[in-house]
Amino acid sequence: MKLELGRIYVNSIRFGDKTAMAGGVLTVCASDLEKLILEDEHIKAVRIELAAPGEKTRITPVKDVIEPRVKAEGPGGEFPGMIAKVDIVGSGRTHVLSGAAVVTCGRIVGFQEGIIDMSGPGADYTPFSKTNNIVLVIEPQEGLSQYEYEAAARNAGFKAAAYLGEAGREAKPDIVEVYETKPLFEGAAEMANLPKVGYVYMLQTQGLLHDTYVYGVDGKKIVPTILYPTEVMDGAIVSGNCVSACDKNTTYHHQNNPIIHDLFDRHGKELNFVGVIITNENVFLADKERSSNWTAKLCAFLGLDAVIISQEGFGNPDTDLIMNCKKIEAQGIKTVIVTDEYAGRDGLSQSLADADPAADAVVTGGNANQIIVLPPMDKIIGMPDYTDKIAGGFAGSLRPDGSIEAEIQVITGATNEIGFNRMTAREY
Amino acid sequence: MKDKIITNNPLVQSKPPSGAELIFVDGGLEDVLTRARDLVHQGHALLTHPLSGSVKPGETVYKTIIMSRGDALDTGSLELIESAIAAAKKLRRGGRAFSDSILKDLQLVDYTLIFGKYNL
Repeated sequence: MKLELGRIYVNSIRFGDKTAMAGGVLTVCASDLEKLILEDEHIKAVRIELAAPGEKTRITPVKDVIEPRVKAEGPGGEFPGMIAKVDIVGSGRTHVLSGAAVVTCGRIVGFQEGIIDMSGPGADYTPFSKTNNIVLVIEPQEGLSQYEYEAAARNAGFKAAAYLGEAGREAKPDIVEVYETKPLFEGAAEMANLPKVGYVYMLQTQGLLHDTYVYGVDGKKIVPTILYPTEVMDGAIVSGNCVSACDKNTTYHHQNNPIIHDLFDRHGKELNFVGVIITNENVFLADKERSSNWTAKLCAFLGLDAVIISQEGFGNPDTDLIMNCKKIEAQGIKTVIVTDEYAGRDGLSQSLADADPAADAVVTGGNANQIIVLPPMDKIIGMPDYTDKIAGGFAGSLRPDGSIEAEIQVITGATNEIGFNRMTAREY
Repeated sequence: MKDKIITNNPLVQSKPPSGAELIFVDGGLEDVLTRARDLVHQGHALLTHPLSGSVKPGETVYKTIIMSRGDALDTGSLELIESAIAAAKKLRRGGRAFSDSILKDLQLVDYTLIFGKYNL
């Protein structure tokens, strides 16, 4: 399966009469976009705002971040099973509005986090301070349940990203990247001397506000299965996860998974990147046993020599992570796990809630309990009552001058567990 | 022998799923974990993970755990509950006051992680 990603660089975004992409500028017709979002009867109102890198702007509480894209050639559409038909994606050509991001905001539950600062010290901890953001602040109809609100906000983000992506359909990409995975035996024959490497991609699937969807299927209802890496790159996996801002994978993270990207970089040179095994992180221990048995079985079935395993979240998923690691290692397959840490504010406590001697190669995204002071901003985009709630005592505290003292876990993507951030710890 | 639901969540108490015995703990999240650990020592096994949810100890006050009866000490359950208690102590935060609406949201998330939309 071969995918061409045509990147069209977006240097700035402005409002205008017609949505269009030209000369590095994305023009957004706010009224057309608003009309599209309000087609959903669950949504009472939507405010559309722009946030650019370097501005003294804070966006909160962030639900999801999505990269605008369009399927320019080939089968399928954006976000299959969610807003497009369930055709297999991952081939043909997709045009990407690179440098733009749709950010959805909505206070679905009272304790939600998710801060993106466009400048200041907090900006260093989130990749979305570097993107030009189209922010949708989504107000639900009165009496809407938390599930319905989450689903409405989730779909609004996908629709907006697909709508904006259309502006890039006919544009000439600044760069075209090509990614290809050959059928299993063909790839193995071509790269007979290279180690066969797979990626076990753990998806957050515990329940309400902790969900991930694969071709529209709720991830907690799947058994582990195999995807071509380009299917993931092309929108097959999307986020319905609203909590744990620092280490949740937004849809943007799934679209741009750096583990997949970097394995492709080495594909055919240092290794044979065979494919992606997706698995879930359920609450029932029997589900964990079944899923980790299956990931280990699939790794052996594919004849892999080595596997990278990434997790999403903390606590409950640590158990899935260690089960996957132990059982795959027991098949004689080397593993590297990618995680983050909750090592206490002083960084001295045990980092994970589970451990095993087999987990002897670990990449960390940082300590989520680390304290940061976020200075006041000139503009707050989001829910006006939200910052009062954060003062009530979730992971942060609002000071009278508008600054926030908080653990970095309140920042979207701060300790991301697929490595889509700049923090790590190294030991030689 | 019925499965046991150990919880301090009033929503679980008010809408309990049928077929299981409800043990309501009038206390905090750590009290639920401690009660679960005591039951592990009495031969019960964990069916759900004690650190369910991304809303961590110190950030929520509610916890629901389902356990079954075993015929011997389940060492896997013991390791899991001990590490959960250690994590809860590590992430302990003092002096948090939650409003009624936030408490209701926290109850709902805890309930749905274990039971889905079962009885809501």
